[in-house]
Amino acid sequence: MSARARDSRTADLFAAELAAASVPVPAPKPVAVPPPPVPPVPPAARPAPQRRPLWYAVLFPALLALPAPQERLHRLAHRAQRYTPLVSLEPPAALLLEIRGSLRLFGPPDALQARIDADWARDGLRARSAAAPSPLAALWLARAGASIVIEDPAALAGRLAALPLACTGWDAPRLERLRAIGVTRLGELLRLPRAGLARRFGPALVAELDAALARASAPRRAFVPLERFAARRDFEVGIEEAARLAVALAPLVERCARFLRARRAGVQRLQLRLWHRAAPVTRVTAGFAGVTGDPRRLQRVLEERLSRLALAAPVRAAALVSGPLESLSGGSDDAFGGAGGAAEHAAAPPLIERLRARLGEHAVYGVAAIAEHRPEGASRRVREPGVAAARPPIDAAGVPRPMLLLPSPQRLAAGSAADARPSDWRLERGPERIESGWWDGADVARDYYVARDRRGARGWIFQERRGRDWYLHGLFA
Amino acid sequence: MPRDARSLAELLADARVWRLKDATAAASRPVWPTGRAALDARLPDGGWPTAALVEVLLADYGLGEVQLFLPALLADGAQRDAGGGRWLIWIAPPYEPYAPALAQQGLDLRRFLVVRPESATEALWAAEQALQSGACAAVFLWLKGSDMRWLRRLKLAAEEGGALGVLFRPERHRFESSPATLRLAVSRDAAGLRLELLKVRGGQPASIALEP
Repeated sequence: MSARARDSRTADLFAAELAAASVPVPAPKPVAVPPPPVPPVPPAARPAPQRRPLWYAVLFPALLALPAPQERLHRLAHRAQRYTPLVSLEPPAALLLEIRGSLRLFGPPDALQARIDADWARDGLRARSAAAPSPLAALWLARAGASIVIEDPAALAGRLAALPLACTGWDAPRLERLRAIGVTRLGELLRLPRAGLARRFGPALVAELDAALARASAPRRAFVPLERFAARRDFEVGIEEAARLAVALAPLVERCARFLRARRAGVQRLQLRLWHRAAPVTRVTAGFAGVTGDPRRLQRVLEERLSRLALAAPVRAAALVSGPLESLSGGSDDAFGGAGGAAEHAAAPPLIERLRARLGEHAVYGVAAIAEHRPEGASRRVREPGVAAARPPIDAAGVPRPMLLLPSPQRLAAGSAADARPSDWRLERGPERIESGWWDGADVARDYYVARDRRGARGWIFQERRGRDWYLHGLFA
Repeated sequence: MPRDARSLAELLADARVWRLKDATAAASRPVWPTGRAALDARLPDGGWPTAALVEVLLADYGLGEVQLFLPALLADGAQRDAGGGRWLIWIAPPYEPYAPALAQQGLDLRRFLVVRPESATEALWAAEQALQSGACAAVFLWLKGSDMRWLRRLKLAAEEGGALGVLFRPERHRFESSPATLRLAVSRDAAGLRLELLKVRGGQPASIALEP
């Protein structure tokens, strides 16, 4: 067993715990509790010995320092696919590879691991890796810096016992609570009765431990490489008008739509790069309100977007690049349009797209009612209309609220009355006291009134409880 | 000749010219009862037209001008229909639409959109797009300037898309001609809200006092 030899050779981290491996680690026998809170693992979920998966986890500490590690991780995942078709992302900085099936091709597990590690090293990337029968165990071992290969699931518990709990990547509150009961290493956790663990920390924790010990299967989502459409077209004569450009781009849009149709996919974004003879490249992005692959919709939005564009110089060539492909069946088309079946109901997202393409992304928005006491915080602009709208506003109970809110309260000239009440306004209703926000330093303490001014406009005005000044805050339009 | 053609268009757009075509077209359209009997009695077919351009001239914001239309629109359920209703779009409102008030009225915020164009032309273009899309129950547009050709286009777009277009403009445009199907001036006096129906296709100009 070369793997075992390798275990004892390289995993000095575990030297002390090899003894612990012989200590009977509590197996999943829920000792005395008649109705076990965690369902026992059905034997069928245990993979057959010869088909047992072997997971290789690799962690790239350097990625953590990058501002956007996602893209780099995707590239690495793409490369890892030369070893196995089953690569899974573990953001922000780790990958999981199922390598059992690759052993026939690449040799024994430790040889394959060494080979993959050498590959990262050639790239100047420091990587920490480990292989184990479960993805979680492999990941935890890799995080601990243990470069080992464990093939036997029975050996897992002993190997994991020495790992500090931080290797699990659990959130701070959970780690803190575990530390409070004196648990700092996985071994100590594994020794606790399952039933008590499930009661105190929830069944998810026990399920995770089972998955780590390969007693329960934990399916991983396979990484699917990002695919994009990209095509370029050169123009013999430079195109000077944006309108003609839209026509000249139609074949590219048509090709893009065919490409998307073949993959049953759509995009939410198209990018256009325009090359000029002497000017820098012009970049144009067109966004869609939903995922789409409809050539007419692609073309129309692109045309609207181009109509806003002032061309710096004649265009010699253009490239159309799609955003990441998204599945059309996912229903994201409906996230916006709703499930309303009638054709006219589905017409809004194209309308929103057209408005955004011409007026700009931020010129078209919805509003959401937010459960917040401070009036200025109770309404928020949202990109997608209706987001967070399901949440009922705090004051839905008939207290009048103005249809229009001023961007910031407008100071009213003080009158001659004792409380400096503005002479232009006659109070009709109130006061409604609103006090809140002390926790973030932007606290308000105001008495709100519905009032009418000389010309008959009805406003929502308030008096500062501290400064005694009066302000206009909204209009009952 | 072109000069004559233009004057004909101007003539037709004049508020004092009443065209038979419009009157018959309006008669076949459904309406939204305003919820105020005194007002319904004065409006053709007893309510706000559902596919037309209505122009509202205002002395000031905050007179209850939106309230004239919103409850009627909502009572009909045209905008809120279990998420599948048609849209209400506000273009260039003078201040920020306040979500708690809108939700209080029963408006479905999933079908509510605000558009903030940078110029009057963009606002008019957006209104035309929204009105003719068929996706909107109503489009409210706040506008300061005046452009006859554009207003005429809005009217056609509203009829084509089956949407109610409400155009809020300052009162100073009162004496200009307008292609709107219905024109009213809103003011408030000691007695309460006063509506002057300046132009009513298929009806008579009138002045109506409403409860506050």
